[in-house]
Amino acid sequence: MIEVKNVTKTYGKGESRFMALDDVSFTIPDGVSVAILGKSGSGKSTLMHIMSGLDRTTSGEILINGENVFVKKQKNIDAFRSKTMSFIFQSFFVQGRESCYDNVGLPLEIAEVPVAERKKLITKALESVELGDKARQKAKDLSGGQKQRLAIARAIVNNPKILFADEPTGNLDTATGAVIEKLLFRYAKEQKATLIVVTHDPELAEKCDMQISIRDGKMQYIRGQSEKGENE
Amino acid sequence: MKTTDTLRRAGRSLRQAKARTLLTSLAIAVGAFTIMMSLSAGEGTRNYSNNLIQSNVDPRALFVVQDKSLFESGGSASTGLREFDADVSDRNGRSIKLMNQEDIDALKARDDLEEVVPTYQLSVRSVTFSGSDKQYSAEVAAYNPDVKSEIAAGSLPEKGVAIKDDEIVVPEGYATTLGITPKDLVGKTMTLTIIQPTATLSEEEARQVIAAEGVEGLAQRAQGETKELPLRVVAVTKQAATSFTAATSASVSANTAREIAEFTTKGTDTYQKYLGVTAKATEGNDPAEVKTRLEKEGYAAQTAKDLQSLIFTIVNVLQYIVTGFGILALIASLFGIINTQYISVLERTSQIGLMKALGMRGSDVSRLFRYEAAWIGFLGGVIGIILALIATIILNPIINNALDLGTGNYLLAFVPWHAIVLLASLILIAILAGYFPSRKAAKLDPIEALRTE
Ligand SMILES: Nc1ncnc2c1ncn2[C@@H]1O[C@H](COP(=O)(O)OP(=O)(O)OP(=O)(O)O)[C@@H](O)[C@H]1O
Ligand SMILES: [Mg+2]
Repeated sequence: MIEVKNVTKTYGKGESRFMALDDVSFTIPDGVSVAILGKSGSGKSTLMHIMSGLDRTTSGEILINGENVFVKKQKNIDAFRSKTMSFIFQSFFVQGRESCYDNVGLPLEIAEVPVAERKKLITKALESVELGDKARQKAKDLSGGQKQRLAIARAIVNNPKILFADEPTGNLDTATGAVIEKLLFRYAKEQKATLIVVTHDPELAEKCDMQISIRDGKMQYIRGQSEKGENE
Repeated sequence: MKTTDTLRRAGRSLRQAKARTLLTSLAIAVGAFTIMMSLSAGEGTRNYSNNLIQSNVDPRALFVVQDKSLFESGGSASTGLREFDADVSDRNGRSIKLMNQEDIDALKARDDLEEVVPTYQLSVRSVTFSGSDKQYSAEVAAYNPDVKSEIAAGSLPEKGVAIKDDEIVVPEGYATTLGITPKDLVGKTMTLTIIQPTATLSEEEARQVIAAEGVEGLAQRAQGETKELPLRVVAVTKQAATSFTAATSASVSANTAREIAEFTTKGTDTYQKYLGVTAKATEGNDPAEVKTRLEKEGYAAQTAKDLQSLIFTIVNVLQYIVTGFGILALIASLFGIINTQYISVLERTSQIGLMKALGMRGSDVSRLFRYEAAWIGFLGGVIGIILALIATIILNPIINNALDLGTGNYLLAFVPWHAIVLLASLILIAILAGYFPSRKAAKLDPIEALRTE
């Protein structure tokens, strides 16, 4: 369960002070898929960064499973993040000069997963995004859709309980985007993981259990929380 | 992140930028090469001079003189007149105090010295060999039992044992001049003809000579007396590569040398006057301590160690200079590492952001970049050291040939543990150079980093 409580984020000081998030509160139960909607510059990415502990709040707090993880030492936050969550970005951030295999292996190295277990996990992740045959290929030789699939494989290889995706289909055509969406939802369902997708796309948002809309840093509406929340 | 993973990842990053990595390491390799060569040359030269000294000078040997200025280079040459002193001789504009027989006897009487042999100045008018009347001129020196000599023919007593008084050792060149084999030369009699300078007789002495031997006797005195010393050739020596002594002189025993010296100087001012003596500290006496005692008594002395340290000082100074250049090259290459790593951090901003987003700690990111620097240092060191090893292997025979050092003497000695220490220091230095870029990487804000694209 992720609880966002009265989160405010301001950038800059004095005259140029800018409120990217203004008193945002909501709760996301475990295992649901959430869409964060809003216009460009409304603060969606900022919210996602704060929820994942990448960024700190100006005021307010984030509780994950009742624990305020992000007031801990950076070292502990990092360890927590490497074991519980993962990311997918609009511009894939795959390492072009490394093989697909090594790209996917990165989170396992960071989480210090024993070497013996890695091969199995990496192969499984690559196969689940249908890149099993490209393990030894350099990532730069992949197509855009394949790169994002590789990014998904990298995101899911360590079985994260929370998956953040910031406009995962933003750089892809509709058909390819659909494949990516399907992969994300399938993973979330199979692993009972929480999926948080930042998107412009209302269609994608509709497929999620919950929709949170942000406008100029303020929460505009939240849908679907009650039904799901009661189920938990 | 585990160390092995960090190391592998660091190595991989470097392989992905091959040209840059190689160029940066080559800069280090230049420094490493220079330092390694300088270390090898220093070691080799020290080994060689050690070898040289050990085969020529007994470690217990001392060279004792009356006049300290003999051991001092330069020194002011006195001009003008000085009071006459029979014990002082003039050499190159400098007055040298010589040793007389009393000094020699005093030194011989000491119990911390043995084998006290004065440095005889030997002059031989001519030499002949049995079976021929042909006269040759030759240089003669006292036989040094401590010098290892390679023998072409005949035999020599073992090291440290002198030859007999009626024996002579000749260099191989004599056989060549005589047109016979060294083997045929052994056993021949070599006769040395020495002359006593004309005696300056007082009126009284002249009258006595005339009374005793007649006018012929006086005429003979005026001509100078000659003496013939028949000596048996016992060995023909080759010029040993590590020998100091010139190949041109024949060697006689200390007693024979004394006989020659005294005969040829009799009646002159230099009779029984010597520059100094060679001697050995007796067993159980430290030559350095003997030296101090001698110096307290007004002598000056040099030990085998002094000679060695003199040579070593020169070698060391040269080595420091070359090493200095190597270190300069290294310092320059360090900026190369810093620069390369800064560029690498900039290039990989998004990668660093991603790694941090995935939970990689700042200290691990920093470690990754320091390991990359370490790899560069390692690579540069290995290249430089291997090149130095190759250069040593190629240059040694060439230098040996050019300087005629003799078999087994090499001026470049590659010492493995030097290489290992050098390599380790290079890695350490590279890590230090990589510190600033790695800190920049560690401090990178992941959100900022991920926005780059
Ligand atoms: N470091 C910063 N300094 C100042 N302003 C910032 C900073 N980061 C974000 N902002 C501002 O905060 C606001 C929210 O940014 P954010 O990236 O969250 O928008 P977004 O909703 O993700 O937009 P998009 O859909 O275009 O990605 C923007 O107006 C942005 O300019
Ligand atoms: Mg955004």
